[in-house]
Amino acid sequence: MPLALVIRIDRCDGTTLRLWLPLFLLWLLLLPLAAVLLPFLLLAAAIFGAEVLATFAAIAALLAALRGTHVEVVGRHSDVFVHIY
Amino acid sequence: MNENRRQVLQMLADGKITAEEADRLIAALEKEQSMPASASPGDGVRHKYLRVLIEAQDKFRAGSPTKVNIRVPMQLLRAGVRLSSLIPPEARDRANAAMREKGVNFDLGQLKPENLDALLEQLNDLQVDMDDDRTKVRIFCE
Repeated sequence: MPLALVIRIDRCDGTTLRLWLPLFLLWLLLLPLAAVLLPFLLLAAAIFGAEVLATFAAIAALLAALRGTHVEVVGRHSDVFVHIY
Repeated sequence: MNENRRQVLQMLADGKITAEEADRLIAALEKEQSMPASASPGDGVRHKYLRVLIEAQDKFRAGSPTKVNIRVPMQLLRAGVRLSSLIPPEARDRANAAMREKGVNFDLGQLKPENLDALLEQLNDLQVDMDDDRTKVRIFCE
């Protein structure tokens, strides 16, 4: 799972925005919410079919696979750096 | 001399195979022995990331070019393909139509989880280099 998201924006006027988002805290906060939502999810799967579960599993896999993503754009007016640890 | 090689030579001596066939068989045996035990014939180097590097010069303004450096984990592609296989048919048709309008004639329905490994294996060998007056694009796996 991704643990942290780092965003840095350097503008040509010298201002810099640095953002470090601890995603691991977000997962910890979401864990109890997921436990509460699980019965509703199972109910939805029973009504609408197993594809609901498959969709959630695929979304979870997508989020988990984000680790290592790196986007860097060096432009005329600003530089943008995004990295997911 | 191992047993397989002895059998090939015995078949040659018995006249069951020609010298050329024996040569090919022995070469195949040697190739098989030189490969590590865990490796299968289709195994290559497994790359972890897809990299896209773009360097574009503005058409109307001189100066330093815009540079883009993107690294996408292969696992993300894998998860994306798995998710795309769950897209409802109506939405898939609309996405296909939108891509066709942009000149990309591709059917998203062809992206199935069972084809995923073959697709990613082919991506391992992918390398695209585009170079013109103002733009340089490199796409490769690492």
